[in-house]
Amino acid sequence: MVERNKDLIFGLYDDETELISAVKQAKEKHLDIFDVFSPFPVHGLDPVLGLEESRLHVAGFIYGALGTLTAFLGMTWIFTKDWPIIFGGKPHWSVPAFIPITFELTVLFAAVGMTVTFYIINGLGPGVTNPYLHDRITDDKFCIAFDSHHISESDAKAFFKATGASEVGAKHI
Amino acid sequence: MNTYVVSNKQRNLLLSGIVLGIACLGWVYVNDDATHTRFWTNFLHNTVFFTGISFMAVFFYSICVTAWAGWSSLFKRVWEAFGMFLIVGIILMFIVFLGAKFEWHHLYHWADQASVADDKILKGKSGFLNLTWFFISSVVVTGVWFFFYWRMRSLSIREDKEGDPSFKLHHRQRVWAAAFLPLAGFTLTLVIWQWVMSLDAHWYSTLFAWYCGASLFVSMIAMTILVLVYLKGKGYYENVSTEHIHDLGKFLFGFSIFWTYLWFSQYMLIWYANIGEETVYFKERVMNYPVLFYTNLVMNFVLPFFILMRNDTKRKFGSLSFVALLVIFGHWIDYFLMIKPGALHTAHALGGAVHDHDGHGHDAGHGVAETAGHATEHVSTFVSGFTLPGFLEIGTFIGFLCLFLFIIYTVLSKSRLVPVNDPYITESLNHHV
Repeated sequence: MVERNKDLIFGLYDDETELISAVKQAKEKHLDIFDVFSPFPVHGLDPVLGLEESRLHVAGFIYGALGTLTAFLGMTWIFTKDWPIIFGGKPHWSVPAFIPITFELTVLFAAVGMTVTFYIINGLGPGVTNPYLHDRITDDKFCIAFDSHHISESDAKAFFKATGASEVGAKHI
Repeated sequence: MNTYVVSNKQRNLLLSGIVLGIACLGWVYVNDDATHTRFWTNFLHNTVFFTGISFMAVFFYSICVTAWAGWSSLFKRVWEAFGMFLIVGIILMFIVFLGAKFEWHHLYHWADQASVADDKILKGKSGFLNLTWFFISSVVVTGVWFFFYWRMRSLSIREDKEGDPSFKLHHRQRVWAAAFLPLAGFTLTLVIWQWVMSLDAHWYSTLFAWYCGASLFVSMIAMTILVLVYLKGKGYYENVSTEHIHDLGKFLFGFSIFWTYLWFSQYMLIWYANIGEETVYFKERVMNYPVLFYTNLVMNFVLPFFILMRNDTKRKFGSLSFVALLVIFGHWIDYFLMIKPGALHTAHALGGAVHDHDGHGHDAGHGVAETAGHATEHVSTFVSGFTLPGFLEIGTFIGFLCLFLFIIYTVLSKSRLVPVNDPYITESLNHHV
């Protein structure tokens, strides 16, 4: 969920290599970066920012396993207890015939579950509009933002100047 | 360290491995029954497996060249080295062909003229299942593969010395690679049908060649990982990073699942339709080879799937090498299951009551008679070398593996490990997943 009600000071960079070197310098100076925005995923940014690996895939595994169990146990119950029918002389509990459906439900549960989880974690969804700092962040500019409570304005401006930001601004979101 | 040097220790180790393999084959031959089925199945099994890995390396190399793939340029010499084993494959398969022609072995039911005359099904298939076509697939087709491989390899070597910024040589290589792909796709099917599927001469499956191909592809990727990890451990290829290995790990993971998909597709359709002429293949394997049948699935699907599912296990050399070893051996077992049962049936059908020639090879002789004779009736006892790989089979495998590695390392020492003047080398050096 994006934190709201913040006063942010941000600098825009023209190039992702400038962005990465700026983030590195900020980390060296122990400046507390609020967030970094870019028009596309920048290779090697996550480790520099010190972001932990997402745990979304763990959720994905659990959803998938849930799908496997739902399909397999569901079909087992249906075809052996609830409504046993003989198909082509096969036993009621015909594992090979269950496999394709088990596979489908595994994929379905994992995909839908991960999508929904991702949306919830990021506060996305129908009707949600997230604030943005500058129009060109969605186009060709790379942005580092500081929370103004964690850094003085002069420090931030000095940092942006030293690292070659092409534009500096402030915005309340 | 841009040229690989085969150390004396390594050469001696590999040569002694080859000697071990020959000794195992010889031991099997001497103690085998009169038709030498165990010897010839082992011979065919390992030849097909390693020739297939070699073919797949050339195939994937061509895919990379055709698709303008840059990530693998750095270690393309490893695949070029794999391809050189094709020449050994041609020689060994020529021996199998000679064996079929002069009746040294009875691996192929269709090669026996008397059976074909009496058998409606074999007669119907005799337009394709005959010695002429076997010669074409074993020697001519593999020869064509080798020719294409040799063209691409020599262009790649020439590029090191005379390459220029116009990349003329690479463009020429691309033409060869693109021409090889459709040819390779169709001829692999032909070859697998002849070499492996025709062992069960009465049975057929249209999916079989795909399934065999996937098996070989996974083995090839696993072998690439092991060779690269070994070379890195020796201090070569310092630029091959975790990123490259990670990509190979993804191929290992993905194609293990692809193999399972094909294996299961073949199994389920045959199980579902339940037509006798089709189910005979799986009935034989489930009843008489239950351990291998399920081990096959566990080693080639369950373990790679769960171990390689995580990101970090694909990036750590230890866990990835472990899975690669597991998968190579698993697919070797897969081929064991494809080749042994059919050949045993044939040996029994042709040999009638097979007798030990010296009354000594108790295991082997009875193995053939028992397994083949009562195959569809009850579960036979486990017979080393027939229903389970015995020590001699493992020894033969090690022998062939050492021969394969010996050729790879010899070829690697002939040229630069890291190519220069390759159009994608910079991209490959900076590869990042």
